[in-house]
Amino acid sequence: MRFLLSTLSLSYARRNLAKTVLTLLGVVVGVTTFSSIKTAQDALVKGIGSTVDRVAGKAQLQVSMEGGVPEEVQERLRSIPGIRATSPVIEQIVVPEKGELGSLMVIGVDLLGDREMRDYGFEGEDADLDDPLLFLAQPDSALFTRDFAKRGGLAVGTSLSLKLPTGVRKVTARGLMSPKGFAEAFGGNLMVVDVYAAQELFGRGRRFDRIDVRLDEGVSVARGTALLEEALGPAYRVETPARRGEQMERLVANFTAGFNVSSAFALSIGIFLIFNAFNVAVNRRRRDIGTLRALGGTPRQVQALFLAEALALGVLGGVLGCLAGTAFSQGLLQGMGKSTEAVYGISGSGVVELTPGVALQSILLGIAASLAGAWGPALAASRIPPTEAFAKGAFQARAPGRAAPRLAAGAGLLVAALLLALFSPFGGNQLVFSVLLAGGLGLVLLIGPLSRAVLLALAPPLSRLFPSSGPLCSDALLGNPRRSSGTIMAMALSLTFVLGLGGYMGSTKKTLERWMDDALTCDLFVRASANFSRPDFLYPGELRQEILQIPGVRAVESYRAIRPIYRGRQILVGSIELSPVMDRIKYQFVEGDERSMLEGVTRKGMVAVTENFLTRFGLGVGDQVELMTPGGMVRFPIAAVMRDYSSDQGAVFMDRALFLKHWKDDRVDIYDVSVHPGTDPKQTREAIRERLAGRYPALISTRAEFKEEIGKAIDAFYAVMRITVVLALGVAFLGIATSLLISVAERTREIGILKALGAVPQQVARSIVLEALVLALAGLLLALPAGNLFAVFMEGPVARAFTGWSMPHRYPWDVLGQLLIALPLVSALAAWLPARQAARIKVTEAIEYE
Amino acid sequence: MLQLHELTKSYDGKSTVTALAGITLSIAPGEMVAIMGPSGSGKSTLLNLMGGLDVPTSGRVLVGGKDLARESEKERSLFRRSHVSYIFQAYHLMPTLRVRQNVALPLHLAGVPAGEAAGKVERVLFEVGLEHRGDHLPDELSGGERQRVAIARALVTDAPLLLADEPTGNLDSARGREILALLRSIHRQRGTTIVMVTHDPEAASACDRLIRLRDGRLEDDGGAAGGGR
Repeated sequence: MRFLLSTLSLSYARRNLAKTVLTLLGVVVGVTTFSSIKTAQDALVKGIGSTVDRVAGKAQLQVSMEGGVPEEVQERLRSIPGIRATSPVIEQIVVPEKGELGSLMVIGVDLLGDREMRDYGFEGEDADLDDPLLFLAQPDSALFTRDFAKRGGLAVGTSLSLKLPTGVRKVTARGLMSPKGFAEAFGGNLMVVDVYAAQELFGRGRRFDRIDVRLDEGVSVARGTALLEEALGPAYRVETPARRGEQMERLVANFTAGFNVSSAFALSIGIFLIFNAFNVAVNRRRRDIGTLRALGGTPRQVQALFLAEALALGVLGGVLGCLAGTAFSQGLLQGMGKSTEAVYGISGSGVVELTPGVALQSILLGIAASLAGAWGPALAASRIPPTEAFAKGAFQARAPGRAAPRLAAGAGLLVAALLLALFSPFGGNQLVFSVLLAGGLGLVLLIGPLSRAVLLALAPPLSRLFPSSGPLCSDALLGNPRRSSGTIMAMALSLTFVLGLGGYMGSTKKTLERWMDDALTCDLFVRASANFSRPDFLYPGELRQEILQIPGVRAVESYRAIRPIYRGRQILVGSIELSPVMDRIKYQFVEGDERSMLEGVTRKGMVAVTENFLTRFGLGVGDQVELMTPGGMVRFPIAAVMRDYSSDQGAVFMDRALFLKHWKDDRVDIYDVSVHPGTDPKQTREAIRERLAGRYPALISTRAEFKEEIGKAIDAFYAVMRITVVLALGVAFLGIATSLLISVAERTREIGILKALGAVPQQVARSIVLEALVLALAGLLLALPAGNLFAVFMEGPVARAFTGWSMPHRYPWDVLGQLLIALPLVSALAAWLPARQAARIKVTEAIEYE
Repeated sequence: MLQLHELTKSYDGKSTVTALAGITLSIAPGEMVAIMGPSGSGKSTLLNLMGGLDVPTSGRVLVGGKDLARESEKERSLFRRSHVSYIFQAYHLMPTLRVRQNVALPLHLAGVPAGEAAGKVERVLFEVGLEHRGDHLPDELSGGERQRVAIARALVTDAPLLLADEPTGNLDSARGREILALLRSIHRQRGTTIVMVTHDPEAASACDRLIRLRDGRLEDDGGAAGGGR
């Protein structure tokens, strides 16, 4: 076998370099997609975990509470026996004015007391904190890591401008930390400030984000947890840093799992490219196969030869794809990081690195994809009788396999996928992959016979529309059913993916836009933070009265949201003055109605929950939701269930009075401002800006601007998915180009004969371009129903499983419109080189071609 | 050496085509036999059945006592490897392999160690007069030389039965004569049984025995072909 590989296979690859490279590209593209996504996912999750771990330093436990831990709690902690040290912490991500330095993690600590908790690397020769007292005395003091200081051109005494909620603020470097332990968190993009300065900078009031705790020697973590929980009560969360990191990792991993679908699609499309290329290679080399068989080569030896070639391609493609994936993953990581920060308020500075695990998985996937693609053609090669292999044209003319069993098996699998989607015994990734696997296999089995039917149906109109090139094109496509159906399969899968995902994204966006039109009805939104999920500044509650007094302002409501963990999920608990809000918002109720909501929520201490909360947790009207408050566990009866898209994990809404009563925290995220009729909201905006200037950060948006910003956040969420859609189109392009190049090479003799009979080069070129267009059209025709089914699946069971929402189905007409413009262009472009090659074929050489 | 008993071969398509209809004949070891007949008479089909490249619709093909018609695809491949060698009209050399590699191919398929194979290859290349062409590609050779490579490839396994399908069909008369002389000399020196399908009376005259086919039936068998001339 080694002899055959190093002679027959290698020389074939050398002689058909372009085709070999295109086949290899099929593996590379698939593996690149997988490895870039996987590397970025791992780096993101690991970065988050590692940041939590490093920032925690020697802390064994961390005490936190929704809305922040009041200052006085630190005193209570100190009096608990078994506690060696406590240290308050505020954490915030900020952006330096010099954007190229990247996001910076700000840690607010009590520097004098924090040495017990974290190692700042000031000791020994590295001593670089001149005067700790000066650090505390000056509110603009900051410590940076040496690495960041080097990149930012900072030295002790120089300053750095930061974009903070309160405007651009300068901080001065008072010391530099050595790059070890704590200083390595967030990739070294770390800034340490005094915790009390951080309270002011980030509007935390008299609260900390958490208090880190170190236990006495001999006190176990379990004992320490029990002591703290007993002393603080159930409102406080006491957990190890590792567990906190795991929780964040879980949230993010859930989000990034969606990208696995893209990986799976890219790989399966790659498999079809390989299938196509090997099919053609078998066809091309049938005489060689015949000779091998005549010389005593067994069917198994022939099959093994092709599979060994596939194995070599798989290994090479896997390695190249793995390297390319690592190169792409940095960009992907940034995209994912932005999304997780926007959606979950979780950030971590992951560093992309190719782990042995990912490398191994990538190479194995490359091999598996390559072998899966080559298996059928290799088997077909082994079954070619030597006499048939020597007969001219006999193999090309062979009809495809029997259609009926394939159609039956394909339809069966498709029905199984539908049943699984409708009555799934499981959810999450299992649901997605089982349905996609059954549906995908069903589709693959159906596309073969169906693509032939489509090509047969298209043949008569083609001949009528293009009398000279039409029949040539149909003959070429129908004459080699395996190659045609392989290309159409890759095309249909790509387009199914594009239509399905595009449809889902479009449907989600339209639904959210409609909801925003119904729900966001005030004139101005006054907020301190650009990030909806992790506000970096909160307004004091008393500001409402002040805004109310501004001329032109008719009404102001104070919106506050916290994001506690409820049964393992990070839900949203929102509060607002509900009576005036009910006057201007028309909610869609799933259970209960406007009256029950108004009465229950504003007068009876009840809450409203969202539709996805009901789906996820099974709690609706008549049930009670248990929420942890600073005063302990409180059961809130549910008055209504409404359709709302504020949180993909579920939301609970209550009147502000109820929130204040239980949480005793009057800070505000957003003030919803309505102006008097006839007043220009933009004038009122200016008046509010003037009133807040120099005191509070103020991002004031009109209704239209606010919706646009949310729209952008949604777009950012789908940005990475969009890249994979483009990738799918790229693979489709590659598929057509490969198929046509091979088709031209296959038909060299036939094209020569046509030219000898009087066909002009333009006619030949036109037939090749037409071939590309027909392949794309056939792929699109088959993808229309399949893409629609995929979109319905994404909008229904997948959306329900991951968000609890059900998106109403909308046919992706916009995506289809774009495809109808893009596809002919992409196909014609893919056909350009093969068409040119065909037009240039010399008659004398071509008719000698074997 | 070779016994065919009531051999029929038909192809099912839109209508059934009978290529061979009840052929019975035997070929003794060391014979050199020519099969002649007009196009479509079933010559090549008969040759393919003799070598186990194809299986008959009915009848028996006994080669060295083994009925190839009853053997599996794999068994027939293994049998071919050791008992039968082929020469084709279109040479069927691997265009991407050098002469030496082409000749070595059946040995590698049989798992013969590389060193042993190399020695055998050199010997047969010398035998056919191509020892100086070992590193050439088939494209760089003349038609006669290509057929010599094919003969070398057929000889390298020392198979007792050599089947040749129009071995001179693609060659001019001078080159054709050279190839026939080479086959004749192999027959004499090695005692190889040779069955040759041909249209060419001159090629047929080089054999010991001539079998004529017409419409898939045996028309004439045993007429001395003038072998040894």
